[in-house]
Amino acid sequence: MPVVEQLLDLAGVGKERLQLCWVSAAEGQLFANYVTELSDLIGQLGPFQPDNFKLELAAVETVLKSTRIRWLMGMDRQITEQENVYHEKMDSEAYQAMVKQAVAQEYEKGLILEALTDGPQSVREIAGKTGVPVYTVSLRLNDLERAGQAQFHKFEGTTAKFVLLAA
Amino acid sequence: MQETYEPKILGFLCNWCAYAGADLAGVSRFQYPPTLRVIRTMCSGRVDPLYVVEGLKKGYDGVFVFG
Repeated sequence: MPVVEQLLDLAGVGKERLQLCWVSAAEGQLFANYVTELSDLIGQLGPFQPDNFKLELAAVETVLKSTRIRWLMGMDRQITEQENVYHEKMDSEAYQAMVKQAVAQEYEKGLILEALTDGPQSVREIAGKTGVPVYTVSLRLNDLERAGQAQFHKFEGTTAKFVLLAA
Repeated sequence: MQETYEPKILGFLCNWCAYAGADLAGVSRFQYPPTLRVIRTMCSGRVDPLYVVEGLKKGYDGVFVFG
């Protein structure tokens, strides 16, 4: 839940568009209240235009599919309340900060991968498309190259162009 | 104009909790807005975050998970 909320905020969709509530089978009135209240909230946010968020939503999807995030999801209690095989226990705050950082990095990578689907591009072009700073783009591209997801393509004049690597 | 706009919301309801709760709300004739499109899941833990993204991509204005 915090991961998806963070991603929706990063994407500019806003975490308010996702709501999680607990309603038991005996709480019909509570259910009706929740639906009324939250429908009002969404109504105030206005209609959502998925076409304006194509790049961002695709990146969010990539993140949620990524092995790294899938491993981290729901592991908080295992890692912060029990121990790992080395009998090390992680502080809850440190764990959350770590997950947050991982999500942010994966999101940037997702954006870059999505931008690269349009063919070979330079770092500057990717940065322009995704809104990620140039230096960060080149850092993440480096990660993607090492993971075998992207590759240096060729020089056009003096600018290096990068392409996606088919998985 | 603002008052006539009705959001389209996707709802994932747990079969054992909220779905029965929604049923009860219906039976007891509690009023709530017709904005929610319900999908019954066997458990709210069954809802993959990817479903949420898919819902938004398909043009829903919001996604609710009731457990």
